[in-house]
Amino acid sequence: MGKTIAEGITKRGLKVLLLTGMIWFVSGAEIQAQERSPLQLAAGAPAGHRINTSGKKNPVTFEHVDALAMDAEEQTLFLGTHTGLFRSNDGGRTWKKVSVSAKQPSLEVVAVAPDQKQPSTIYIATREAGVFTSADGGTNWSQINNGLGGLDVHGLAIDPNDGKLHVVIRNKGQEIYRSTNGGGKWSRVNGGPGPEIQFLSSVNIPTGMGGIFLYAGTATGLQRSPDCF
Amino acid sequence: MGGLPTNKTVNGLAVDPSNPKVMYVAMRDGLFKSTDAGETWTRVENELKNLAAVSMNPKNPKEIYVSAADGTIFMSADAGKKWQKQ
Repeated sequence: MGKTIAEGITKRGLKVLLLTGMIWFVSGAEIQAQERSPLQLAAGAPAGHRINTSGKKNPVTFEHVDALAMDAEEQTLFLGTHTGLFRSNDGGRTWKKVSVSAKQPSLEVVAVAPDQKQPSTIYIATREAGVFTSADGGTNWSQINNGLGGLDVHGLAIDPNDGKLHVVIRNKGQEIYRSTNGGGKWSRVNGGPGPEIQFLSSVNIPTGMGGIFLYAGTATGLQRSPDCF
Repeated sequence: MGGLPTNKTVNGLAVDPSNPKVMYVAMRDGLFKSTDAGETWTRVENELKNLAAVSMNPKNPKEIYVSAADGTIFMSADAGKKWQKQ
């Protein structure tokens, strides 16, 4: 067993110790502990609320993952989660939280879209605060919601040819918005492809009508539609 | 869209930028690959389950990353044949 780094009392009056080299997770009303190797600690824990006790200064809690993307320079992986945006420079072994919004430190990040033509530019979509972009590889972020009909975003796609953006928002029903100037202005395109969108993606396959296809993951499967509408 | 589990949630998509007909989807049942823009799908042979997202190195389409719902990352350097927990 490792060194004690915290201790506490459960609701049932049991004394619990938090040791290095252990993963804790809550299962119903019980608190359980399980010894894990350092490799397993680095890789992740069983499903459930998680506290990383590997001795790192910034324990990482994702709760649930929504998105994963590599930047255009092959250096950084970004992970969008229920507790925010994280970045890894070692292929996903260790993660650091990215500060996107000082006002809302734990935004749920549902989509991450690096601009493959402009390697320092990244777009993210959130459930609470719309769309953000960074022009410096993810250090500084600004909100880009001008014209967007809601802030509860469920998907974000970037056209690999011209950088055109599409988002799907939930606002009573679902709606798709488009921006042709990097998120400076959004215009409504049409209703969304179906219930419970998980992602939206611009796929560089010509439709024969001057555009390419948008793919969407929904609760009932994969759908695609020409993006020229 | 034959070969995908029917009526199930599709959580993530990764597309090969050099050949966009090659794509992967992440699902609760695992990782699936298509080489015909999604018309037909084959399950990638591995133990991966409960996947939330998939991504590809844009400069090296053989390098694929998947994330399980809890944030566990697996990487393949050979287009999905062998996988390593990160």
